[in-house]
Formats: sequence, C-alpha cells, structure tokens
Amino acid sequence: MFEWLELTPVAIWVGESLWGYPIMLGLHAVGLAIVVGIFVMRDLRLMGFFQGISYESLNGLRNLGWTGFVINAVSGCFLFASQATTFITSTPFLLKISMIFIAAVFAALIQNKLRDDAVQWDSGGRAAGSVRTFAMISTAMWMGAIIAGRLVAYL
Amino acid sequence: MEAFVQAVEGSAINQWVIGSAWTWPILEILHFMGLSFLLGALLIIDLRMAGFFRQINVAATHKLLPWVFIGFGINLVTGFLFLMGDPARYTANIGFWWKMVLVCVAGLNALWFWLKVNDDMKTWEPHADTPAIAKMIAWISLGSWFGVLLLGRLIPYIGTG
Repeated sequence: MFEWLELTPVAIWVGESLWGYPIMLGLHAVGLAIVVGIFVMRDLRLMGFFQGISYESLNGLRNLGWTGFVINAVSGCFLFASQATTFITSTPFLLKISMIFIAAVFAALIQNKLRDDAVQWDSGGRAAGSVRTFAMISTAMWMGAIIAGRLVAYL
Repeated sequence: MEAFVQAVEGSAINQWVIGSAWTWPILEILHFMGLSFLLGALLIIDLRMAGFFRQINVAATHKLLPWVFIGFGINLVTGFLFLMGDPARYTANIGFWWKMVLVCVAGLNALWFWLKVNDDMKTWEPHADTPAIAKMIAWISLGSWFGVLLLGRLIPYIGTG
C-alpha cells in the first residue's frame, strides 16, 4: 500500500518536481509556527503566565491554532506520500504522529473547558488545576513532536 | 567572505559544532522551538495590533514579549552556531542573506514601533480598533518574520552555490 502511495502522480510531483517538496516543506514550517505557537501560548496563559489577558479572550485563538494544524495535516500528507515507505518504518516519525494526536486531543479538551469555565476562572484569578495539567501535557507533546520531527531526518 | 570562511573553518567553535553527530540536530531542535515561541507570541501581539481578536486586551498582549525575546535569543545563538559550523554553505547562499536582511527589517520595524506607538498604546481602549500606523507596523512585523521563517526553511533549496 505504501509503495502504491509513493507511485501516485501527486507523490511523484512532491518528490521529483523542482518546487513540489520545498513548497510543502515551507507550508509545513508556517503551519508549525502557527499551531505550536498559538497552542503553546494559550497553554502558558492557562499555567498562569501573561496575567492581564483574560481566560475568556483565549477562546478567540481557537480557529487560528486549528488553521495551523490543518495546514500541517495537509502539507504533511503530501510530504508523507513522497517517501511513504521510509516514513512508515521510522520510529521518530511514528512517535511524532502519536504525540501530535495526543496534543490535538488535549487542544480539544482545553478549548471545551475554556468555553464552559473561562468566565469563572477570570473571576477566581486562575484556571482549574485539571486544565493547568492539560496545558502542561499539551506543551510537552508539542515540544516532543518538534524533537521527534527533527530526528526523522537523522535516525 | 573567503577570509571569513577560512578564519572560521578549523576554529574551536567550528570544531565544537561539527565535532559530534548530535550537536547539529540538537541545535536544529532548539531553533524550531525558538521559532515557535517567537512567532506564536508575535502572532497574538501583531494580530491584535492589526485590529483582530478584540476580546484580548491590547496592552496586555505585551506580557507575551518575553517569549518573543526568549525565542529570538535561542535562535540568535543557535543560528550563529550553524554559521560557525558550516560558514561556506551559508555565506554562499542567497536565501541566507535575504533572511538576514529580513531580520534587520523586522528589527527596524520594532524600533519604529518603540519610537512611535509604544507610549500611545497604554492610552488605547483595551478592546477597540487600533490606529492605522499600528496596523501597518503589525503587518510589516508578521510579513518579515514569516519571510524569515520561509527563507530559513528553504535555505537548502534556494540558490546554493
């Protein structure tokens, strides 16, 4: 199946055309900055940094963060297709995908908690303990995904 | 530039960067973490200053500035070490030079903000629209930093000598 994927016209375009791979790699860097940057800043606020920015106002960042996520899911699929047989046997790649999956689950959990409880946290001055834990796990997963993602090129 | 390359190659710092197989990937990991702190914090600061996300208190976005400087500091140090590790590759690369030009543009733009907008910002309504000059500075900031990001990622593909 992965051999077949590598031989599809779109995979060959990414892998062999002059600009296919660099375009996808460039988009993947932009998406990384958005999704990791926005979700980690949101996590830091939940951990207690940046007092003065209300918890409720963090709700507005949700769509921007997921936009970065989608850019990277799409560009990532193109990059994956071009070297599917190599990536699918790479331990750091599989680790990276697992950590991104966990990070996405926590991003969804955090946004639901924010939507329901942010006003209450603003009046009390800090986020619920469970959400502070979610935020720490989320940030650790995004940092782990960066580490594993870079190591895909080396291991 | 040849004299610079010759001076760096074989120097202690050059040998340190390329001496172990692990140094380069670790520096790259740090460089990626740095860029996500820098751009993540700047996206919130600049998009609010461009008039978006008005539910966020505009003056309070400056609480994020330490993460801009942390990210920039990490990337300045790791980036300098990349240059020390492989000076011939970077100095021959037009993408690298354009990236450095854009870093300078971003720096001058930040200076412009500091001189013309920073003091007024404290008097702005926390959830209101922002002045035109602030919007322009915000877009120049985002444009130059995302340009830096793209040029950096594409150094291996752009005009390498």
